[in-house]
Amino acid sequence: MSRIRVSRLVVRLRPMPSLPDTRASLIVRLPDADDRTAWDEFAQVYAPLVYRLARRQGLQPADADDVVQEVLSAVARSVDAWLARSDRGPFRAWLLRIARNTALNLLTRRLHQTVGAGGSDVARRLAQHAEPETDTTDELDWEYRRQVFRWAADRVRSVVTSTTWRAFWLSSVEQFSAEEAAGELEISVASVYIARSRVLARLRKLVQQFEEAHS
Amino acid sequence: MNGPLRPCDEQRLQTLLTAEEDTAEYRAAAEHLESCAVCRERLSDLAGEPCAWDEARGMLAGDETDAQIQQEETARPWQRFLSSSDTNAWTESMVRQLLSPPSHPEMLGRLGRYEIERWLGAGGMGVVFKGFDTELNRPVAIKVLAPHLAGNGAARQRFAREARAAAAVVHEHVVAIHDVESDSATPYLVMHYVAGESLQTRLDRQGPLELCEILRIAHQTASGLAAAHAQGLVHRDVKPSNILLEQGVDRALLTDFGLARAADDASLTHTGYLPGTPHYMSPEQARGEPVDARGDLFSLGSVIYAMCTGRPPFRADTGFGILRRITDTEPRALREVNPAIPAWLETLVARLHAKRPADRLSSADDAAGLLEKCLAHVQQPNVVPLPDACRPRPLRRWATRRRALTIGTPLVGLTLVVLAVLYPWMDRTPTDFGTRDKAHSQTDLPGAVPSEVVSRQGLSQLRPAHPVSSMDKGTHAEEVKDSLNGQNTTLPSADRDKPNEALGPAISPSDLDWDSAAREVESLIRDSESLRAAVERLWQQQPAPQTSAGDDTPADIEDQELSP
Repeated sequence: MSRIRVSRLVVRLRPMPSLPDTRASLIVRLPDADDRTAWDEFAQVYAPLVYRLARRQGLQPADADDVVQEVLSAVARSVDAWLARSDRGPFRAWLLRIARNTALNLLTRRLHQTVGAGGSDVARRLAQHAEPETDTTDELDWEYRRQVFRWAADRVRSVVTSTTWRAFWLSSVEQFSAEEAAGELEISVASVYIARSRVLARLRKLVQQFEEAHS
Repeated sequence: MNGPLRPCDEQRLQTLLTAEEDTAEYRAAAEHLESCAVCRERLSDLAGEPCAWDEARGMLAGDETDAQIQQEETARPWQRFLSSSDTNAWTESMVRQLLSPPSHPEMLGRLGRYEIERWLGAGGMGVVFKGFDTELNRPVAIKVLAPHLAGNGAARQRFAREARAAAAVVHEHVVAIHDVESDSATPYLVMHYVAGESLQTRLDRQGPLELCEILRIAHQTASGLAAAHAQGLVHRDVKPSNILLEQGVDRALLTDFGLARAADDASLTHTGYLPGTPHYMSPEQARGEPVDARGDLFSLGSVIYAMCTGRPPFRADTGFGILRRITDTEPRALREVNPAIPAWLETLVARLHAKRPADRLSSADDAAGLLEKCLAHVQQPNVVPLPDACRPRPLRRWATRRRALTIGTPLVGLTLVVLAVLYPWMDRTPTDFGTRDKAHSQTDLPGAVPSEVVSRQGLSQLRPAHPVSSMDKGTHAEEVKDSLNGQNTTLPSADRDKPNEALGPAISPSDLDWDSAAREVESLIRDSESLRAAVERLWQQQPAPQTSAGDDTPADIEDQELSP
């Protein structure tokens, strides 16, 4: 599947590699293991984020997929430029900056054109559309923070028991009282308090770590 | 609140947020919270200010559109590429760095005397191009070592060494290596160009394959492996993408011998980054232990499994998860996934999938022979019997077989019974059987197993190349074997003393001349009447198997004893 895609790419000289290629080529090029982790973390947060924004802007799922792929590919291509710089700063911070700009440009651009041109040149678009719209900017920043929370929540959820997670979810996100949650889960009220506090504490710590690492 | 015990101390509340749940401190603090409503609220504040709770709620709660999008997200094509470690490929810019400019505009570039025509694929250690040998005027496939490996001295040397070793293997089911260039800045090897697709592509396209196709590809792969093993070369990366299917004739050719190791050197050990797919690794490989030819047999089992089901046997979300599954778990039963697969193929795969290398089929040559016979059987079921070693769960079928005897035994069933009974006594007279049974019933058994059951199982145990080994019977089989070894005084003592050997090897020593024995049995089969008489005589010499229940009792007991 990816073979067909790649050979087509090479023959047509149209740089639109598939996502596994994007990731793999980055992994090969990034000399630092920490940077490789950074890329994976970034992609885990940014791919759903871009998809979400694209869908909210009314794109069909398949078109939203294209935007996701274009953003990740464009960012991946820029990595070479970053690697070539002698004064390059931390990879994570750079990654988010460039991703934000790329996503904003692509998304605002998408608003004004018909979708389906596939494989269009991102750099050209960036040049044409230097000033992204403020609405989209705000939405992206807000979605970004949300996505970081979701990412952190996924991680916390995978390390606590389902009762602990449910206690947090019911009493904090769905706004049931601690007593109601306790009744639902058949645990004591104190246990609900402990569970949700533990989850929140971990959640905040993860979010904070992510943001510090990427700022 | 400020008493001598200071139960409401903030540090104790902190414990609730950070300590492990099984510590005494945590339990004490948790207990206090049961009765102190004030501390519950204080704990909440300690975890986060009210605005932090609000933010978490705002960030995690979603509207309906959100919920819908979130549901969509799980199935997006990009989703599975975000964290999986089993994909690895290159981009165009990397390709350009490797090649000299082409001499024809329609070519991609040049490498030595080879014109590079197009990209064929990429793996953990390099990229494969279709090229053209300008001196010999023939198409070739050129595998180029990845730059991050080319810069690594150990990997380069390994690449060259393994490639030269692989070049020495000449076999109709191994992709021939024409040339190895290890001195240039970009090391590469030149192979015979196989027009067609890889087994992986075929599986992606078609899903599970037909039984005949499975057996044919498996047999050809195994024979290619056997040829390499005969030269002391271990493949180490047997997987569907390394098995090429030639267009038209569909001949299977194995490629990439030993090259996985070059990639290991550079990346796996140094950065923990796993090149290529680990789905088909053997348990010893997954644990980072030394791998020999038997590791390839495990991978072959996984490849057959994938052909039967369309997907690899051990799956997980992450590379690490896959490795854990390979080392710690049994795959889902083949026939559960694809009921069309015959039981004997499941047995065969299980014999390749034994976690302990010693419990697997002894060689790729054996595997190839078995697979060839199985294929012949499937193509001509009335002419060619199924190989004995592929018989699934023979102990369980014992009762059925006996029933079949009374109805009119098929030749195949007879062969098995005769094999089972006659082999250990090849050099003895038939009258010995009676004595033997007496010896059994007189033996003092620690577990007090009914003697008739034991003697029946004893017969089954003595079948050569026993397909029921520890792979599907686990410790039960070991127990039964141990108890049997205790009584089977005719067995060579050396074999009895191996505590962890699989059932088969322990009881049928490898130095027996099975070939001549097989020839004798074949001559017996030709005279089916005398065979039938011989078997019936044997059955008459068996004591009545039932103590209280009906005809199925032995099978039931066997199930209890031996089922996993």
